[in-house]
Amino acid sequence: MTPLVIVLIALVGGFLGGIIGALTGLGGGIIVVPLLTLVLHMPITEAVGVSLFGVIAISVGAAPRFVGTGLTNLRVALFLQMAASAGALVGALVSHDIPARALFLIFGLVMLYNAVTSFLPSRRSEGLKASSPLAQRLKLAGRYQEGDDWVEYQVGSVLPAFGIMLGAGMLSALLGIGSGVFKVLAMDKLMRLPFKVSTATSNFMIGITAATSAGYYLSHGDVPPLVAAPVVLGTLGGAYLGGHWMKLLPVVTLRRVFAVVLMAVACEMLYKGFVP
Amino acid sequence: MSEKLEAQRRLITVWILRASIGLAVLFVVVGLELFAIRGGAYFPKTPSGSLLEIAADSWQGMLGLRPSAWFDAGILVILLTPLVRLAAGVVASMRVRDWAYVSIGVVVMSLVAIGLFAGRA
Repeated sequence: MTPLVIVLIALVGGFLGGIIGALTGLGGGIIVVPLLTLVLHMPITEAVGVSLFGVIAISVGAAPRFVGTGLTNLRVALFLQMAASAGALVGALVSHDIPARALFLIFGLVMLYNAVTSFLPSRRSEGLKASSPLAQRLKLAGRYQEGDDWVEYQVGSVLPAFGIMLGAGMLSALLGIGSGVFKVLAMDKLMRLPFKVSTATSNFMIGITAATSAGYYLSHGDVPPLVAAPVVLGTLGGAYLGGHWMKLLPVVTLRRVFAVVLMAVACEMLYKGFVP
Repeated sequence: MSEKLEAQRRLITVWILRASIGLAVLFVVVGLELFAIRGGAYFPKTPSGSLLEIAADSWQGMLGLRPSAWFDAGILVILLTPLVRLAAGVVASMRVRDWAYVSIGVVVMSLVAIGLFAGRA
């Protein structure tokens, strides 16, 4: 494969990752890593390293939409980020000691989980009447703007969510994904944050989590610029367009159609994990 | 946080994000143009070593119009953006003397910094 073809595939892959990530909320890494390993035949550690930069690009590209709306709860984000970054650091440090086949297996399972949850009916958690004592001490309750009004909310189950963030951070570093699905799950179902707040706060967090491990991969020589730079550029463009198309396209249907594709790719990744 | 400080914090955050997206896109696009001008037929060296070494090498390469150096610069800008945004949040917490969150922010920044500097091959 010529360098020019590699650049074009990376650019298109990043663009698709950004657009599908923004439209379906499934994240860019889940598209970029299989593309780089299955199509460009890159070693999985390099694919993960490149993908982490795509994840940061998605987080940075989507962030301006949330600033000033109150949707990103910075206090919740920073508190949970201690666990997510610690997990990411551990994940990065052990990443080169884990056999590639194990990484393919874990990746395939995480993809399947993402695909299956796309078909489940989304039940939003009810808000809490009062925050937990720890959340009160940390002043985690917040408010966000909806139209001309401000909606206030309370926060619970801080420590269990903190534990989940540790695992989410580790998975992010090992697999090159944002782990947004786990972060949103913890904030929505455990802490009972409003869903919009969970997704915006998760978006803020995935960038910092990915940055914690991306530097490790870069310094370690696992981020080929010929692939990473077009992926970043494509992701930024895709995330921008996807954000604008969200209101125009049937997002739920798209998410389910894409989940079927995801299942097929997950099988391919699992196959690579089982068969040397 | 007072309304004035909050508005100031928002403005700074938006400008950090816009500036870094703009810079990263500019660096990568210039790198792609240089890559195309050179016929798009070479595999650049994958950077490794400390971030400072990568940044210094990238700077030298950019002056010499080496395409991969411009790619590296775009990647570095994207990598450092969440850290800069985090630092801006910590400074905002300092201004309102929210020491609990200054401490938490410093812990997170330290973890990210360890990640950034722990990966020397």
